[in-house]
Amino acid sequence: MSDTLDEIAREVRENPVVIYMKGTPRFPMCGFSAATVEVLDAIGVPYKAVDILAESAKREAVKAFSNWPTLPQVFVGGKFVGGCDIVRELHARGELEPMIKAAIAERASAAS
Amino acid sequence: MYREAVTRPEEIERAIVTALPGARVRAADTTGAGDHFEVEVVAAQFAGQGLVEQHRLVYGALGALMPSIHALSLRTRPPEEKAG
Repeated sequence: MSDTLDEIAREVRENPVVIYMKGTPRFPMCGFSAATVEVLDAIGVPYKAVDILAESAKREAVKAFSNWPTLPQVFVGGKFVGGCDIVRELHARGELEPMIKAAIAERASAAS
Repeated sequence: MYREAVTRPEEIERAIVTALPGARVRAADTTGAGDHFEVEVVAAQFAGQGLVEQHRLVYGALGALMPSIHALSLRTRPPEEKAG
């Protein structure tokens, strides 16, 4: 499990926005994953999607990593943001887009 | 039949109120199958907490029920905030 945890730590560090989901953005295999992808697509920035059905070791590892019992899970700027309900609520409040844009800007300045 | 896997909304409400005394909880079984729920919790214990912490408190309260709940849609807020 620790190798998988390391890989998750690296993924969320290296990518400003990461979603661990069931299925892929084009073919989500769960309604909650589909609804969360819909929010990210509405914001219109690139994000990394990890299909935990294809990478099954990450299914339990990501729950341990974030101390969160359900999927999907969204990380922004290396920080756990929440699952479907929280992502939708933050988006409705107008808080998600600035959070994501800040993380992308931070990542770009760190890379330059 | 796997009757023990079926959770009733009242069990969810009771578990949350037990862990978060004074909380107002509304749980609805969205499919009638006893494993898909929509739950709304208004609790003073959420004051000053982020949404992640608020949801963690509810997941913690559900504890033993969680494995039998297939899908849970959760809305949480402290009492003074308006829903929306």
